[in-house]
Amino acid sequence: MAGFGIGSEIASVAATATVPITAPPETPKLPPREWVKANLFSSPFNSVLTVVSTAILLTLSWNLLKFIFNPIRQWNASATNLRLLMTRAYPEEQYLRIWVCVAIILTLAGSSMAVWRTGSAMPVTGLGRKLLATGALLVLLALLAPFSAGATVQWLLAALVVAAVGEALRRTGGRGETERTVSTLTLQVVALAGLVASLWVIPFGHHSYIPKRIPQVMHEPGTVALSTKLPWTIMLVVVVAAYFGGVLLRDRLAENALRVTLVVLWLLAPPVLVYLILRDPDFDMGHVIGTDIPIFLAYAVLGSTLLLWLTRPSTGEIGRIVAALVLLAGFATFLSPMRMVLRLDLLLLATFALAAPTFAGGLRARKRYTGAWLVLLGVMSWLITSINTASTVRVPGGFFIGGLAITLMVAIFTIVLSVPLGIALALARTSSMPIFRLLATWFIEFVRGVPLITILIFFSIMLPLFLPRGMHLGEVAAVIIGFVLFSAAYMAENIRGGLQSVTRGQHEAAEAVGMTTAQKTVFIVLPQALRVAIPPLVGHCIGVFKETSLLAIIGVFDLLYMARYVVPGQTEFMGSARESILFVIPIYWIVCSRMSKASQRIEQRTGLGER
Amino acid sequence: MTAPTTQQRVSHRVPLWRDVIVIKWVTQVFLLVVVLSAMLFLASQAGDNLRARNINTEFDFLHEPVMIQISEGIDTHPDTGARALWSAMVNTLRISGAGIIFATLLGVVVGLARLSDNWLVRRIASMWVEGFRNIPLLVQMIFFFSALTALPRVGLGSGPVNGWLHISNKGISMPRVFIADGFYQWAVVVLIGAVAAHYVRRHRQRIQDETGASTSPILWALATVALFGLVGLFVHPVFSWLGPVFGSIADLFDSLPNTAPQVLFSAVAIGVATIWIRRFLSAHRSARGHLSLSDDDWFRMIFVALASLAVVLLVVRWSGLSAWALNSSRDLSEVLETKFEVDGAARPFDAMRPDIIQKSRFPNYGKNGLTMSIGFASVFFAVVFYTSAFIGENVRGGILAVPKGQTEAAKAVGLKRGQVLRHVVLPQAIRVIMPPTGNQYLNLLKNTSLAIAVGYSDMVQVGTTVFNQTGMTLPVVAIWMLFYLSCSLTISVFVNWFNVRMRLVER
Repeated sequence: MAGFGIGSEIASVAATATVPITAPPETPKLPPREWVKANLFSSPFNSVLTVVSTAILLTLSWNLLKFIFNPIRQWNASATNLRLLMTRAYPEEQYLRIWVCVAIILTLAGSSMAVWRTGSAMPVTGLGRKLLATGALLVLLALLAPFSAGATVQWLLAALVVAAVGEALRRTGGRGETERTVSTLTLQVVALAGLVASLWVIPFGHHSYIPKRIPQVMHEPGTVALSTKLPWTIMLVVVVAAYFGGVLLRDRLAENALRVTLVVLWLLAPPVLVYLILRDPDFDMGHVIGTDIPIFLAYAVLGSTLLLWLTRPSTGEIGRIVAALVLLAGFATFLSPMRMVLRLDLLLLATFALAAPTFAGGLRARKRYTGAWLVLLGVMSWLITSINTASTVRVPGGFFIGGLAITLMVAIFTIVLSVPLGIALALARTSSMPIFRLLATWFIEFVRGVPLITILIFFSIMLPLFLPRGMHLGEVAAVIIGFVLFSAAYMAENIRGGLQSVTRGQHEAAEAVGMTTAQKTVFIVLPQALRVAIPPLVGHCIGVFKETSLLAIIGVFDLLYMARYVVPGQTEFMGSARESILFVIPIYWIVCSRMSKASQRIEQRTGLGER
Repeated sequence: MTAPTTQQRVSHRVPLWRDVIVIKWVTQVFLLVVVLSAMLFLASQAGDNLRARNINTEFDFLHEPVMIQISEGIDTHPDTGARALWSAMVNTLRISGAGIIFATLLGVVVGLARLSDNWLVRRIASMWVEGFRNIPLLVQMIFFFSALTALPRVGLGSGPVNGWLHISNKGISMPRVFIADGFYQWAVVVLIGAVAAHYVRRHRQRIQDETGASTSPILWALATVALFGLVGLFVHPVFSWLGPVFGSIADLFDSLPNTAPQVLFSAVAIGVATIWIRRFLSAHRSARGHLSLSDDDWFRMIFVALASLAVVLLVVRWSGLSAWALNSSRDLSEVLETKFEVDGAARPFDAMRPDIIQKSRFPNYGKNGLTMSIGFASVFFAVVFYTSAFIGENVRGGILAVPKGQTEAAKAVGLKRGQVLRHVVLPQAIRVIMPPTGNQYLNLLKNTSLAIAVGYSDMVQVGTTVFNQTGMTLPVVAIWMLFYLSCSLTISVFVNWFNVRMRLVER
């Protein structure tokens, strides 16, 4: 009887699980007059609110438009200095490197969009409605802005054309049996193509600022529009081609392997772009062949043999002792003078050796683990070598890039580096070992109780004092360390939230199967915890991006510093600070709001809070 | 019969390096040693480097004269480093306090507006949130700064409302209400009023509980305080006898030996630790007196005992600390003595209108009005707008988190709209709203440190100037960290206390 009861229960659960989830019924659309009555004038209080807020909105936008379209505004300060705002004084003859970086990022982005099947279908009627609303907004703008009569008529005509296209689409879209749709990706490509075409068609003016000893505005012939219209066209072709390439690969190859490859490529991209392409290290080949490669080969051979042996399930106790000895040896190397690479490689090997029993298994698993070690060792050796090599790119004063490029670089490096540290801190803080917990808690609470700017000032001024003699660290590197420590403390709290959401049953089940604590953490707890932690982590990434603006305070030439000090400091553009800050505000805003939209989409897709 | 238990058999077989407890503690101690030795290494490096550059890290600069001009605040030309940092600290606290109050008010308005029935208001509120949340605070601050500095110069007859409100590139000046000499005597009257109000409230509450009639106890309590405040405006000089009392307290502090606070602090530290350990033990003892402690629990007890011993050692070895405590208690009493010994005609409050004076070529604001400098205004607006966007989202989320059934049930019982909001929705929403909003308060406090970018003399800006002049970077950074950590701790203690008070009482 009891068995029957349970069985029927399971059956009913299964039945409910297969019920297709239907979208909630649409609320019927009100005709315009009733909609206005219901939404704007439903009560006397609401009517007053509507009138007052309309008045405020109109006054504000009128003043803003009056400010923007005032002929004394120096908008060409930003247009002329676009190159400075994007990359600071990166040498113009080397600019191809920057375009290559953009192309690589766009290739990865295009193929990722194909592999992850982004984009959705948008009903034509919806598109029409959006265009109609844009047209109405443009009409309002044309009427409010202080244009000359001729310009007002032109803007009005343009607005009416947009509105008319929108209305036509809205009417035709709904006709017929099936609703016609259009892919959002197509729309984006069309919009981008329009922008690129405008570079060819519209004379954007002759703007280019050449920083020489005496700053001068070049009037001929290197204009930004002229010099970038060909590259941007190529970029558009690259991203479209990458998308279709991604579609082809997706249909031919195993999707999962493709995704893993792309993720690895995305992770590899920042150091490769910065250290190999932008910085162009001037490798001393004799030293590389004579010292660096032999060290790498020695570690590769010895380490692989060791790891292959350690990951054998039959190795047992001896393996752990050997791993612990390797770790001790790694720390002991700090007592005697030797190359830093040797010590760091040994510590990496010790980490891999300690984790080896967790990943023990058949020949394939062992090979994969050893492969991971080889890849990481290779990347680390190459990075250490190239960081220690002087750059061939000669840039006057300070770091080799600046502007938006350094803002993005610092943000990406901070995020990538603080994820592992954040996970380690979160695990330590939730651990059952009191000293780990205490150290992690103190660190996290200390960092969270202190403003970021004090940490950055400390690291940019004081870090050189803490380094042993003979070791140098650039200011940007020191600041990135400060950013990483700060960001890791916050990230650890987000991840801790995820760790706490993993139910007790998961832990107990993993233990019942016979997993070790490390295996339980790596294979059971962390994947679930990170999945829950993704939305707050994306929010944290937005925060990191916004916080990079603090670089301007400590005197790193980031986007904000360029807009506040460098551009208004040029003799031609004295007193254009408001214009250039108003120019960078949309850049920050677009990046942040795109990221927050993405976070909302991820939250919906993973179905958090619903399952 | 006497076969070994499973426990014994296992413990015989497990070798030392597989024993969980051994592994656990060896790893932890190893990590501790690594961390400590790394810190020692760095500290010794820093010491060497500092000696090599001939920099000594002492706190002497606090007592030595500095050449710093502070843009605004209690002391614009401080004579010592300590005085400069002190007035910078007051500036930070001033802007944080004002920012927290106004950000909360604006945030509540934004949150309610996002839930409004009115489409336009809803749209404006969501534009506000999306706009301010997604632009870096520093960019906003600098934008406000550059917009405010572009305002017209201050003139003798200028301002939107001449004599009442002036807006110019020197800042915003408005009428000011300030604390006058009689305030402290008046405050004592209000304090007595507050005690009276407590009893009035209890009385009215009892009547309400017994009869069920609506007696509005809170309103009565507020009215009592207001009544006392009003009466106090006329009778406050009766408390001038408190002055000599504080004077004798100051004498008492002066005559105490230095060992008195040492004994007191040591006793408190040991007493707290003893009580904590005893409570801990009794909490871990089962009803039959069986005590089971994990190694974690042992660690906690040892840690508390060691911490109290460290406090005792610190207090005994560092006699300056107890001398400081004695001296500052005496100074406080002396200040209070002078505050109470004022003649009877002093008013508790005073008000002044802003004025414009012309000393040299250019006119400027005088000292009468409440003047917001450009730096203050740009930090204030940026911080308030930015935080209001976040608090608005918290308020919206909190109100949405109250199930719809609650509102419907309250309406079905016959409550009016305002009553539903006050008695049903808000008490439940505030539990959801408060924890993230407390975090926002912390963020606001820390965000005011960006004031360095617009030249408002807050803690970080003045500290930077001090270490640029004296080279004492490490001590200044240490003072910063101590200041911000204690402020954060204060706010979080307050927010936690509030959360505990507002928690659902589950039966």
